[in-house]
Amino acid sequence: MERGAGPETPSAPAADFASAIAGGPGFGPIVVDPATGAAVWSQPARTLFGLDPLSPADAVRLSELVDPEDRPAVERELARCAAAGDDLDVAFRVRRNGQPHWLRLLAASAGAGASRRLSGGVLDIDSQMRAEEALRSREEHLRSILETVPDAMIVIDATGTIQLFSRAAERMFGLSQDQAIGQNVRVLMPEPDSGRHDSYLARYRAEGEPRIIGIGRIVAGRRADGSTFPMHLSVGEAKWGERSYFTGFVRDLTEQQRTQTSLEQMQAELTHVSRLSAMGEMASALAHELNQPLAAISNYMKGSRRLLVDSPDPNAGKIETALDRAADQAIRAGQIIRRLRDFVLRGESERRIESVAKLVEEAAALGLVGSREQGLQLRLALDPTCDRVVADRVQIQQVLVNLMRNAMEAMAESPRRELVVSSGPVADGLVEIVVADTGQGLPEAVRANLFQPFFTTKEAGMGVGLSISRTIIESHGGKLSAEANPAGGATFRLTLPAAG
Amino acid sequence: MASQPELAVFVVDDDDAMRDSLDFLLSSAGCAVRTFETAERLLEALSDGNCGCVVSDVRMPGIDGLELLRRIKATRPNLPVVIITGHGDVPLAVEAMKLGAADFVEKPFDDERLLGVVQAALAGAPREADPANEIGVRVASLSPRERQVLDGLVAGLSNKAIARTHDISPRTVEVYRANLMAKMQAGSLSDLVRMAMRAGLLRD
Repeated sequence: MERGAGPETPSAPAADFASAIAGGPGFGPIVVDPATGAAVWSQPARTLFGLDPLSPADAVRLSELVDPEDRPAVERELARCAAAGDDLDVAFRVRRNGQPHWLRLLAASAGAGASRRLSGGVLDIDSQMRAEEALRSREEHLRSILETVPDAMIVIDATGTIQLFSRAAERMFGLSQDQAIGQNVRVLMPEPDSGRHDSYLARYRAEGEPRIIGIGRIVAGRRADGSTFPMHLSVGEAKWGERSYFTGFVRDLTEQQRTQTSLEQMQAELTHVSRLSAMGEMASALAHELNQPLAAISNYMKGSRRLLVDSPDPNAGKIETALDRAADQAIRAGQIIRRLRDFVLRGESERRIESVAKLVEEAAALGLVGSREQGLQLRLALDPTCDRVVADRVQIQQVLVNLMRNAMEAMAESPRRELVVSSGPVADGLVEIVVADTGQGLPEAVRANLFQPFFTTKEAGMGVGLSISRTIIESHGGKLSAEANPAGGATFRLTLPAAG
Repeated sequence: MASQPELAVFVVDDDDAMRDSLDFLLSSAGCAVRTFETAERLLEALSDGNCGCVVSDVRMPGIDGLELLRRIKATRPNLPVVIITGHGDVPLAVEAMKLGAADFVEKPFDDERLLGVVQAALAGAPREADPANEIGVRVASLSPRERQVLDGLVAGLSNKAIARTHDISPRTVEVYRANLMAKMQAGSLSDLVRMAMRAGLLRD
């Protein structure tokens, strides 16, 4: 309708008002009888509720048009208004073309008793409600994602106060959300970071120079029980208005580091084993190859000696002796090779009656190679009355070599380097062999783990020597133990069954 | 002596130095020696008739020491054959003794031992380092259990196999084994096998 400028203009506000209360798209006046639920419908209200514009609607009860899910709430509100004369404000869904559609009914109460009416209007709030719903479901979705990510998420404000603490963070730090929120984030870190974190934040506020934001690094975390763990931390910054918030994502590296360590250990073990078997093959081939020339040397010597027997040469006697000794040395070299081969390629355990003195002397010859250069003193104090034991020579020598080499390494830095190997009878028909050094000794913490596989204090050690040694001694029916000695070094004791 | 052709030691080893040094050693002790690079050559020469003893390496290309022993025993069971080896392992020793080797010697060896066997063989008299009746006395001193373990050992069984056969633990077998080695005065397993053979304990 075209409005002209004229004297009738004062009537225009009234007409606007009438047109306003007639409603329009998105707003429809309505009067409801709260007791019966019957209503007087404006045309736009009919449209909003999805009623046929031409059908008689006076008999239609308002609540019947409401989605069954929201109906009880609407009926409850109407009943309350009927009883107490309150104003009505209720949001609900109706079905329009089979689709739910959000409306809001706002009405003021007038009159009393049976003549009480609620007059007001119905508003289309569908798009607003849908936007909210979408927002809520997105938030829900985000939350579910954050809760399934194994990384912990922690949000702090500019002063370091924890604002948000995710489920994963609860697990990682052993702290519930309720305990964490409101605390300063420094409770989650050990010293020195714990004491300095506030100043980190202050410096960032002052200088704006990021040290960790957007970079990510590996730092130490502190659990509620005080234990610490390695973690990867990445931090992002968000600003809401004037306020800054920092979001930290934390990944626990404990497991990762453990995997890595065990991998390194396994690798070392593998290298060692392959080196050992390569050594075994080499020793075996070497034994065969060297035995031939050594046997030949020995044969030539012995033959020469025989030829000399009837010689009138005045030096014949001396030459004979020299040839004998040379031949003996060739045989000895062959035995060393054979022993090395046996040592590396252990066959089936072969127990025999063996001499403790021989076991120890041979092991010392093998194990203390290079010890003289180190200025090491070897002292043997073996009891000849209990020299015979039942043992697998090769296995026991392996143990003794291991103990002697350990001792040698332990004494590398010591001012006094003395290795004492002694023996003597002990209870239960056993003979004890004691290997004592003057090395760096055995701290309690080391002693407790000494025989555990893969325990080592050596930089290049495998940590299997002592555990294997103990297995060997126990399989013989003996025991292997370690203790610190008064000289400041370590003493290892092993027992073997005495031969009856 | 002069009327009889001198008996020679036939030595076979594929290693030149070993062969030559054996020749030297045996010759220095007054033995006649013929050397061969392969077992095939030795077998060809065997029909010459003057072979009094064979000394053979185990590992050789072509016919190896044990096969040579087998073939010689098939045609000339009384010809002594000494087996020498770089590796003294038990099954090999048992096998050699079963096949009828006069001795089984590990390299490098004591000349007295080799010469003792060879000279006895050439003189036509079996070497009796341990008289058979003496060995019999030692065998008789074994307990029934030790005797069972001895039988298992010379049959070439492992400790585990012996333990299973007699339903005892391998640890116990080890103890019996150590004891019987001491009672038999055997320095090595091949010693033990040799004695067992002489005492008639080896079965085929």
